[in-house]
Amino acid sequence: MKLTRIRVDQFRQFRRALEIDGLDAGLNLFTGPNEAGKSTLVAAIRAAFFERHRSASVDDLRPWGDPAAAPTVALDFELDGQPCRLVKTFLAKKRCTLQIGGETLDGEEAENRLAALLGFQHAGRGASKAEHWGIPGLLWIEQGGAQALREAVGHAGDHLRGALEGALGEVAASGGDALLATVEAQRAELLTEAGGRPRGAYKEALEAEVALAGELGALDEAIARYRQRVDALAALRAEHAADEAEQPWRAFRAHQQAAAERLAAVREREATLAAARTRAAQVDAQLALLRSQVDGFAREDEAAAARAAALEAARAALDSVRAPLEQWTARRVQAAQALETARAALRAARQAEARDSLAREAAASRTRHAAGAAQLARAEAAHAQVLALQHAVAANELRPADLETLRTQDRALADLRLQQAAAATRLVYVLEPGCSLELDGDTLSGAGERRLLAAASLVLPGLGRLQIAPGGADLAALAARGADLEARQQALLVRLGLGSMDAAERRQLEHARLGGELATAQATLDALAPGGIDALRAEHVRLQARAAEAAQALARLTAPAAAEVAVPAAAVSVADAEAAEAAAAHALAAIQEGLHRAQLAAANGETALAAAARELAAARAQLAAPERARRIAAASAALTDARAEQLTLAARSEALAAEIAAARPDILEQDVDRFRSSAEQLEKRHAERRDQLVRLEIELQSEGAQGLEARRAECARDHARAARRAAELRRRAQALDLLRSLLRDQRRALTRRLQAPLQKHLNRYLQLLFPHACVEIDDNLVPGPLTRPLAGAGGGLETGDFEALSFGAREQMGVLSRLAYADLLAEAGRPTLVILDDALVHSDAERLAQMKRVLFDAATRHQILLFTCHPAAWRDLGVGARSLAALRGLNAVV
Amino acid sequence: MPRFLHTADWQIGKLFGQFEPDEAALLAEERFAAVERLARLAQQHAVDAVLVAGDVFDAQTVADRSVHRLFNAMAGFAGPWLLLPGNHDAALAESVWTRAARLHAIPPNVRVCLEARPVLVEAAGMAVLPAPLTQRNTFNDLTEWFAGADTPPALVRIGFAHGSVQGILAEDIDAANPIAAGRAASARLDYLALGDWHGTRRIDARCWYAGTPETDRFRANDSGRALLVELAAPGALPAVSVLASGRYRWHALSAELQVASDVDRLLAELARFGADDVVQLEVGGRSDLAGHRRLSDALGQARGRTRSLVAELGALQLEPTVADLEGLAADGYLGEVIARLQAAQHGAEPAAAQTARDALVLLAGLLERRAPGAAAAAAAPGGDR
Repeated sequence: MKLTRIRVDQFRQFRRALEIDGLDAGLNLFTGPNEAGKSTLVAAIRAAFFERHRSASVDDLRPWGDPAAAPTVALDFELDGQPCRLVKTFLAKKRCTLQIGGETLDGEEAENRLAALLGFQHAGRGASKAEHWGIPGLLWIEQGGAQALREAVGHAGDHLRGALEGALGEVAASGGDALLATVEAQRAELLTEAGGRPRGAYKEALEAEVALAGELGALDEAIARYRQRVDALAALRAEHAADEAEQPWRAFRAHQQAAAERLAAVREREATLAAARTRAAQVDAQLALLRSQVDGFAREDEAAAARAAALEAARAALDSVRAPLEQWTARRVQAAQALETARAALRAARQAEARDSLAREAAASRTRHAAGAAQLARAEAAHAQVLALQHAVAANELRPADLETLRTQDRALADLRLQQAAAATRLVYVLEPGCSLELDGDTLSGAGERRLLAAASLVLPGLGRLQIAPGGADLAALAARGADLEARQQALLVRLGLGSMDAAERRQLEHARLGGELATAQATLDALAPGGIDALRAEHVRLQARAAEAAQALARLTAPAAAEVAVPAAAVSVADAEAAEAAAAHALAAIQEGLHRAQLAAANGETALAAAARELAAARAQLAAPERARRIAAASAALTDARAEQLTLAARSEALAAEIAAARPDILEQDVDRFRSSAEQLEKRHAERRDQLVRLEIELQSEGAQGLEARRAECARDHARAARRAAELRRRAQALDLLRSLLRDQRRALTRRLQAPLQKHLNRYLQLLFPHACVEIDDNLVPGPLTRPLAGAGGGLETGDFEALSFGAREQMGVLSRLAYADLLAEAGRPTLVILDDALVHSDAERLAQMKRVLFDAATRHQILLFTCHPAAWRDLGVGARSLAALRGLNAVV
Repeated sequence: MPRFLHTADWQIGKLFGQFEPDEAALLAEERFAAVERLARLAQQHAVDAVLVAGDVFDAQTVADRSVHRLFNAMAGFAGPWLLLPGNHDAALAESVWTRAARLHAIPPNVRVCLEARPVLVEAAGMAVLPAPLTQRNTFNDLTEWFAGADTPPALVRIGFAHGSVQGILAEDIDAANPIAAGRAASARLDYLALGDWHGTRRIDARCWYAGTPETDRFRANDSGRALLVELAAPGALPAVSVLASGRYRWHALSAELQVASDVDRLLAELARFGADDVVQLEVGGRSDLAGHRRLSDALGQARGRTRSLVAELGALQLEPTVADLEGLAADGYLGEVIARLQAAQHGAEPAAAQTARDALVLLAGLLERRAPGAAAAAAAPGGDR
């Protein structure tokens, strides 16, 4: 498609006609500042194609303030080699003509033909919107809309597929996407998107059906129950009526009555029997009494005889116990005398024993007194010795400290002498025989040695004197100390009364010896008088007193005893005497006991005799009572009568018992119970059934009035309707589901076939903009991820979504894509016209330069109308720009 | 010269769930109207009595209101009415009859024959021998006692029963409530008035089914009538005339469409139906889109005309022609979809084939509505039953 001429009249700012002629088959560049009418021109082209000439929604096409205007657009173009002319007038004069070659079309027909040729739709009502624009909407880029590719492709999708299918030799679907959307929307009303589960009206219908089915089931059950109970009512009524007629309990009541009567008769007989038995018991008791009475009389006679015999026996017994009594009395006197004798002997023996004991004691006291006296004498001697020795020891005493001092002084003196000797001047002399020397008065001859302790004078006879002075001062000190020591020792010795050191030593030895003797003497004294000499003396006095006392006691005892000594046998010991006395006492007691028993027996015998005599008298008196004989006769007669009655009663009881046993009263009782219970059961059941009937009748009447079956019929009707609706919706849902999946499948298959050629064209343009980049086409035929080398020389690749690109890049990609579509359409033999209204304003100079190459290349295949308010930016496009302002001026002239 | 009206199977209280609620309500209502018409007929023909041979009520527990309405509907004829309990309204221990009595709904001129005992209608010169059902179903012949019952010789002997005459009706419906064939003769009856079969039917010269006075199903033939019976004297053959009492005519149609003219014929048939017609239509075979559209249009119009029209087009296969497809502008992959659906509707699996048919009709409807220049008023082809 190539536009050759555009004429606009009474159209917005073009109040007067504007005509642009001689349009190039390739690039056409229109320039002009803002408000110059670039966009109005584009709008005119759009309106000519998209808006219905009859549309009432195109008020915006008329110039401002010109209500009578008839906006007109006339376009001359070439289509498939045929010259065409479209003239469209809106509003005031609604008109549309289309000439294609020799053919002329008018009005709606013309518009529809145009839409089919170019691939767009008209709006159903109102102004045309983007979704109607189809392929032109894609290729005619509005100001600032180059980047909004996805929407434009979406609106053009079906037309594109349809148009491009031709290239593939197939037929595409017109409005397939819209149809698919409709199917999806309708399906979504009934099924969920995800699981295809029922929803909305479909779900409600299914639920309603289930609910009604449940209700129907419940009603069916209720009706079945109701019917069962109606049948039960009939059965009950029949039974009740039969009962009423028969009254079966009556027979049982009669049976019960008969049995009760028989039982009463038996009970009467049982009472008679009991009475007879009571009487028999009374007769038995009477018999026993009478018998005992008769026996009593016999026993009285026997008792009297026995009493007489007993009296005789008692008398004999008394005689037999009286004889030993006298013997016992005699023997008792003898025993008493023997006891007296034994006691006298015992006394004598005891006195003799006491005297002997005293005599022995007195002798012993004397002996102890004598021994004590001797011991006392020895003890006193020892005591005297101890005292003497103690005195001697005291006289010789030398204190060990004094002795030690003496010994120390002696050793110091000896030491001093040795020091003096060592310090003395040795004078050794060897004299010629006969020669002598005098030293301090001593004459020296022969040879010898002297030690000089002090200055000495040696007289050398004949020669004079030698004064010798020993050297050193300590000799003098030593001499002084020696003299001091000797003086102190001498003083001590004087104080102690000793002549010399030897005397001191001797005294010390003497003292020790005396001490030993003293200890010995002390020990001797201690042995003789352990309690001390005074205690020994007191003991001696006590022993002396004791001996005197014993002698006195013996003297007192001996005097009276001397008179009796001769009377009893002197040889009887005390023990023997005691034994004899005890034996005699024992014998006396035994005899006394025997006597006592004999006395008791005699007394008893007398008492028994007296009792026997009394009893006999009583028995004899009883037998002699005057009424006794008459009473015996009466008792015998009564006994005979009672026996006869007893026999009669026994026979009668037996007969009655047999009769009762034959009648079986226990069974009769059971019979009565059984018949009564049977009758009661029947009566009760009858009553119950009557109640049940009444109850059931009332229930059924009230339930029947609820119109169960009528309700069931209504419910069944509703359920049938609900089921029908559910089935309808199910079929519709299934059909929509199937339709949706088929449409999707087919559409997808088709789209896949279109992707490849589109991609080829797009990538060709892309190389001019981004060398080595490539782009993928998605299911909706929209450019998807773009892959291109990274900026810089790294050699890596980056991939990003179209939407992620910068605005400028998206705009550029948008133009490229549209050109690719145009190529694709051109290949398919479809008309293409590209309009760019102020496009690519966001591109930098470098990119714009690339885009110019792209456009120039595209213009070799498509007519391109490019409108811009930046003439300078497009000066190097290779075509002359047409200034709109200039055009308007020119037209004004025309 | 006794003369009476013989009718049966009023089925009062019956609902018609297979129809839309408003239609069903009218059909249920009409059963009362039918009784009113019967009363008028009885009045017009000055009959001596009206005999209703069972199934007066459709169910035992109908609403009290329905009971009252029924007896009110009978008010148009003041002469004696004899009602017989049938299997739907058997004389059970507790039944619609006991309830009607409790409600004091039964007017004095109406006599319900609850027991098998002769009923003498001296004024009408009739002795009626009723065989009421006292159970819902029985396998005994309740009319057996007729033969042994004596009636005054001056009165005509009328048997009155509800059940299936043995050996006459289809095998599957004579199981319960049997009536021996030739009962009229064997029991010396002048006439045997029967109920249970909803169509009017002559069994022999003295034995008739009256049928229901108002048609209630598609299947029953020759219903919507009542019988006017005249007996000259005891022993004379009855003169039976059939009177129309029904309003609605029920039609069950089925059509197999194969060629375009089949549609024409079906449409002509539909055109005949009017306000008193109740129509059930099943359409099978195949049709192009145009035929389908015409049929849909015709059904829509018929629905407006008739009392009720139930149409089932599920078995009708849609076979769009090339012209159809052009008309629908179903080009490209849409054409492919249509082709696949067309193939699928012949599938072996009935449910899947049905779904494919539905989808095809649906798609055609969507395309039609969309297609430029297509008849905008074309009814949607989907949604028919």
